[in-house]
Amino acid sequence: MGTYRYLLGKLGQLFLTLLLILSLAFLLFRVWQPGDPVLTWARAQNAHYSPEQLEQVRHEWGLDIPLPEQYVQFMKDSLTFNFGTSTVINPQEQVSTLFSRGMGKSLILILTSTMASIAVGVVLGIWGGWRRQGKLDNSAMGVSMILYSMPEFVLGMILILIFAGVVHWFPSGRYESAVTLTGFDRYVDIARHMALPWLTLMLAFVGEFYLVMRSSLLDVLGEEYISLARAKGIREKYVLRRHAVPNALLPTITLVALSFGFILSGVITVELVFSYPGVGKLSYDALRFRDFNVLTGTFVISVVAVLIANFIADLTYGYLDPRVRRA
Amino acid sequence: MRKVHKGLLVAGSGFITMILAAGGAWAQSATPSATSGDTGGKVTFVEGTTNDMRTVNPFKAIESPEYEVLNLNFDLLEYFNHNDLTAAPGIATGWTQSDDGLTWTFNLRDDVTWQDGEPLTAEDIAFTYNTTIDCDLGNSVDYMVPDFTKKVEATSPTELVWTTSKPTTAPIRPPWVYIVPQHIWGSASCEEINKAPFFEEGKPMIGSGPFQLIEWNKGEDWTMKANPDYWGGTPHIDEFKVVRYDNGEAMVNALKNGEIDFANITSVDLFNDLQSNGADYGISTHVGAADYFSQMSLNMCDSTNPDAAAYCKNNPGTGNPALRDPAVRQAIAWSIDKQTLVDNVQGGYGYVGTTIVPPFSQTFHYEPTGDEVIGFDIAHANQILDDAGYADTDGDGVRNDPKTGDNLDFRFILRSESEIGARLGDYISGWLKQIGISTKSEVVGDGKLVSAWLSNDYDLYIWGWGPDPDPDFILSTFTRGQCGGWSDTCYADPAYDKMYAEQQTALTTQDRQRIITEMQQKIYNDVPEIVLMYQQELEAYDSAHWQGLEDNISPQPEGTLWAQYTPYSALTLAPRGTTASPTSSNSPTLLIVGILSAIIVVVGIVMIYRGKRNDEDLA
Repeated sequence: MGTYRYLLGKLGQLFLTLLLILSLAFLLFRVWQPGDPVLTWARAQNAHYSPEQLEQVRHEWGLDIPLPEQYVQFMKDSLTFNFGTSTVINPQEQVSTLFSRGMGKSLILILTSTMASIAVGVVLGIWGGWRRQGKLDNSAMGVSMILYSMPEFVLGMILILIFAGVVHWFPSGRYESAVTLTGFDRYVDIARHMALPWLTLMLAFVGEFYLVMRSSLLDVLGEEYISLARAKGIREKYVLRRHAVPNALLPTITLVALSFGFILSGVITVELVFSYPGVGKLSYDALRFRDFNVLTGTFVISVVAVLIANFIADLTYGYLDPRVRRA
Repeated sequence: MRKVHKGLLVAGSGFITMILAAGGAWAQSATPSATSGDTGGKVTFVEGTTNDMRTVNPFKAIESPEYEVLNLNFDLLEYFNHNDLTAAPGIATGWTQSDDGLTWTFNLRDDVTWQDGEPLTAEDIAFTYNTTIDCDLGNSVDYMVPDFTKKVEATSPTELVWTTSKPTTAPIRPPWVYIVPQHIWGSASCEEINKAPFFEEGKPMIGSGPFQLIEWNKGEDWTMKANPDYWGGTPHIDEFKVVRYDNGEAMVNALKNGEIDFANITSVDLFNDLQSNGADYGISTHVGAADYFSQMSLNMCDSTNPDAAAYCKNNPGTGNPALRDPAVRQAIAWSIDKQTLVDNVQGGYGYVGTTIVPPFSQTFHYEPTGDEVIGFDIAHANQILDDAGYADTDGDGVRNDPKTGDNLDFRFILRSESEIGARLGDYISGWLKQIGISTKSEVVGDGKLVSAWLSNDYDLYIWGWGPDPDPDFILSTFTRGQCGGWSDTCYADPAYDKMYAEQQTALTTQDRQRIITEMQQKIYNDVPEIVLMYQQELEAYDSAHWQGLEDNISPQPEGTLWAQYTPYSALTLAPRGTTASPTSSNSPTLLIVGILSAIIVVVGIVMIYRGKRNDEDLA
């Protein structure tokens, strides 16, 4: 029973947060509205429009009705993922089409690089915490601090400089070569293009995971049950594996979920630095060209993605630590 | 405890599943769209750009990549002369004007075909021109001088007659209206043509030019295929492709890496780097035509002025009234050291700006000399303001408007999307301070600037223009009718409008030249905006692999290697020597990095699994 209540509570929370953020989006994109979307659209269209025609467009877009009605419509459209068509970036194209085109490319980048940074960060963190002040810990600590504090775009630029500018191992940007290859060569080509953005994202977050895993393990190692386990004569590696690591992992899981939002914002920067045609670049272009429909779309979908990531983390957390469910 | 390990395993495999799912989706979306054949033997010339293309509707182009594609895909009635960009024989081999100046007769080539094989005749041209006027299509309609044009008709497949109610030289500017095929667009309504994307997935765009747009991945790249049957000659390359970068650094790196063959460089620093180090990579640089300029616009919308444009009266905005005083504008103009801007902001790749018709319009540009020149003289600028009664009455270091007592404090909008906008603004704010004018600078994106500009809510802003070779359009932007359209400042002067109309109906180029000189002088002295500097095109290309660009620069002497008004170099560009297009090499070590994450994940899972088994053994 407790599990269901926990689940329902979390779902309710999720929905409330979503409504709140959508309302904020409405304030941002409709009420405050930096730059008139109709005027911007007319300019991008490069056609002659009379004031009456502009009013007509305003009407078609539902911008001439009172704000409360716009609000209801906006919430309805957002919750059903109906964002209409792009106005400036790709006139007449559905926002969902634009989005799905970039999403595959972004998703593969985000998921694989995050997985890798979790794996590397956690493994190193365990090692570092276990062998505190050892050679590996000290150097990993230094590197982690540097990576943790460095903005993604600086890291990306440095990698471009080295790997594309000096040794020429990888291309400096884009998704694939200008002269499109076929078959297996094409996948190799895409992997080559993805290498640097992937490495940037991976490195950018590995430091964080390392630091949290390490300090969390150190905390756990000071607990009495660890001393008890040792007193029972359990071998060190089992103390680590069975008693210390599982408990130390909990904060890291929270961090993964919380980081998801930061990773998404990191992807925007990284995609821009590498001209990688994913969702991050789409959001940036939408903002730059005041394509409000696309902007709303990317905003809402990102928010939903982060909320879902947090929800999954809550569930995992509840699963891993039964105390959470009861609380 | 066992539960935890199981959980980890589940979570891990969950992630793997997610990766696989994502990979599957990605692989599906990444599958080439059936058109890909043998790419190995093709000769492809690749250009990098940081700009983007949003439409290829020939009537609605704005951005330079759009014009680049349209110039290659379609023809105009005439060519631009290779050297001075006046009208030269193209589809029209010759033309005559009747004695009363009202009728132009064009003789056309009989060997021009559309890219789908249909013949291009005078009917197509008449259809395009009449549709442009009837449907009021984009900017194109202005080139058709709809006020004077009575009719355009095909009297035979190779003869076109253009009749006007007043004499005009518009038909030989040449009119910048891309000729579209009647057999494809003849049945479309105005609204359809206005909205038509002209290029749809898998459907090539039919024009009559040397290249044809065959693929367009929006926001990423676009590809044009050579048209071997082009009436002007056959290109020596198979494909021309443009790929988009989001920043200049990545693009220049790609050029050095051999990923692209040509790029227009917008950053002076990057260009300097290529000039000194490009040779190591087989890259040549070229400083080209000064065909665009940066200008500072002053809000001229004065709704109390009876002569003001209707749009300004309806959208009076919030411009500082002091800017309506010619003395203030003159003083501002005298306070700007344009040479310093050219040297420090533009790295010397440009010229001091004067009139609104840039020097590359050789026939019409007017360069002020002697006493006419508004130079850099802070003392003189201060004198002008002193004489006009703008004293600092409240002692705060900023002059006050004698009429209102307000400080001369201007909102100054700068573009965040320009590499140089903010720097230009810094210099100018510094100089204005020296003449007792304070500024509030605001660096904004284009969307916000467009809003401020169209609602006349600004005092000063900096933007730029890349005018046509013929000055008609840039001159038109200072007429009252353009307020709310293309007018930078809502400048309103009936005398100027009259001159604009006169130059349209001038019988000879000499007459037109005389009027246009006066118009340039008027804007220069009236200072609704200040042309800060003419900037040169900065080009770089892989000269180790390509030839045929340097010997075909147009216009002369300073022109561009590529993306020309009439595609001369597009027909002479060829791979150097016998080597085919550069192909990218695939290093096996790179694959390793690509699958690193998968390996780590698998190892992690195995470790957890093994750990669990051992634990069970122990228990």
